[in-house]
Amino acid sequence: MIQHIDVHALLRESSSGVYTDLVTRPTGRVVRERISQVMAGAGVDGTGNGPTVARMDFSGVGCMDYSCADEIVAKLLREGVVLLLLWGISDGHREAIEPVLTGHGLAVLHERPDGTLDPLGSPAAAAQLLEQLVAQRLAGRLPGGTFALIGS
Amino acid sequence: MTRLVEVPTQFDDRSFDQFAGAFAEATKDGERLLFDAHAAEWASPYGLVALLAAGQAAKRSGVAELPLLTAPTQADVLSYWARAGFFREATQLFEIHGRLPRGKPAEESDVLLPVTPVRAAEDVHEVVSKIQQRASAILASELQLDPRATMGFAMALSEACQNIVEHAGTGGWVAVQSYHWRRTLARRVVVIAVADAGVGFRHSLEPTQAKRFGDRWGDAAALEAALIQGVSRFRDPGRGQGLAGIRRYLARWEGKIAIRSGTARIAIVPSWDDDVPLKDGLPAFPGAQVLIIIPEQGSTAR
Repeated sequence: MIQHIDVHALLRESSSGVYTDLVTRPTGRVVRERISQVMAGAGVDGTGNGPTVARMDFSGVGCMDYSCADEIVAKLLREGVVLLLLWGISDGHREAIEPVLTGHGLAVLHERPDGTLDPLGSPAAAAQLLEQLVAQRLAGRLPGGTFALIGS
Repeated sequence: MTRLVEVPTQFDDRSFDQFAGAFAEATKDGERLLFDAHAAEWASPYGLVALLAAGQAAKRSGVAELPLLTAPTQADVLSYWARAGFFREATQLFEIHGRLPRGKPAEESDVLLPVTPVRAAEDVHEVVSKIQQRASAILASELQLDPRATMGFAMALSEACQNIVEHAGTGGWVAVQSYHWRRTLARRVVVIAVADAGVGFRHSLEPTQAKRFGDRWGDAAALEAALIQGVSRFRDPGRGQGLAGIRRYLARWEGKIAIRSGTARIAIVPSWDDDVPLKDGLPAFPGAQVLIIIPEQGSTAR
């Protein structure tokens, strides 16, 4: 099972509807805490009792800076969230997230609209994530070597 | 007794050291300061935010009265300083002498972001939101920047402003402007200027970095640690992303960054500029002053 998390909605909720950009450490911290609460509620904690994969939907989020990319995506990974899929990310979001993850040997998977998965961050860590998804029968290898989600 | 600090007639990052020298000399004996800008002919966004930082430092120096500022006398200079939002902020820091233009800073096409105070995370949100609304089209049309570069521009601006919120221990100011850079480039550029009169890089990094540098520790070493090595005063492993991200962005778009703090100045110098990478032993000035320049894309051969 994959849990869907609407990051834009959590950002609006955390900032009384004021912000649309994921910038500054304090904003990133508040949004990450809200995401952690939502994940904990659904059992995305790596215990095997709930979903082990979370799809973070960034649709509607404006600018994301490096500090927020670290505070949200990298810290969730460092805190031991099993696997993150990112949905709805723009080139700008990617520009913030990718170097932050690579610098710390971390990775996530960008889920494209057609269901194919695009690794972001450390290639070694991304390969492990893909293996895990395949092992959980959530993703499969396509002809040509790319990966895609199955029945999502 | 009042001590005079002359504002250079052409006030930008290059003439700033002359200004800082006069400021350091004038603040030695704790007298009231008079910043004399009456003969000013031009000021870059860097000059304007740096002048506010000087006012901030003078205001909190313990002298009972606000420092004095004589406004530029040339009408077009005065008008530009007003359009750039300088006087809106300056009235809180200086007792201003001279006839000031009335009304709000105009939405001029060259002033992408007027002088704006940065004190907290909310201010950074405001700055990023404004710049995205205002600057994207201009950056794309005037500087031929790729749409990805305009998004990166907002990120770089956010990180530069956060430096104040996280490290200065006080508020500061940011301004963004596009103009024709005659000095070495003969092209349009967009310039981000950020300044504060806070604790500066050396003080901010001292608890975690001074021991590592030993005898070399000082303003120059602190700037090198922050900009080149990406260290932060926080022990959190994810810290230090901001300046590293700005560097990556500037490397991609042939941009420049220079940071002055205390008695030193460090710069990442692109091929089109002739600045020096590191200067030490400069006149002391409080806080940190950051200059970021992104040139119009295309050939940047000098």
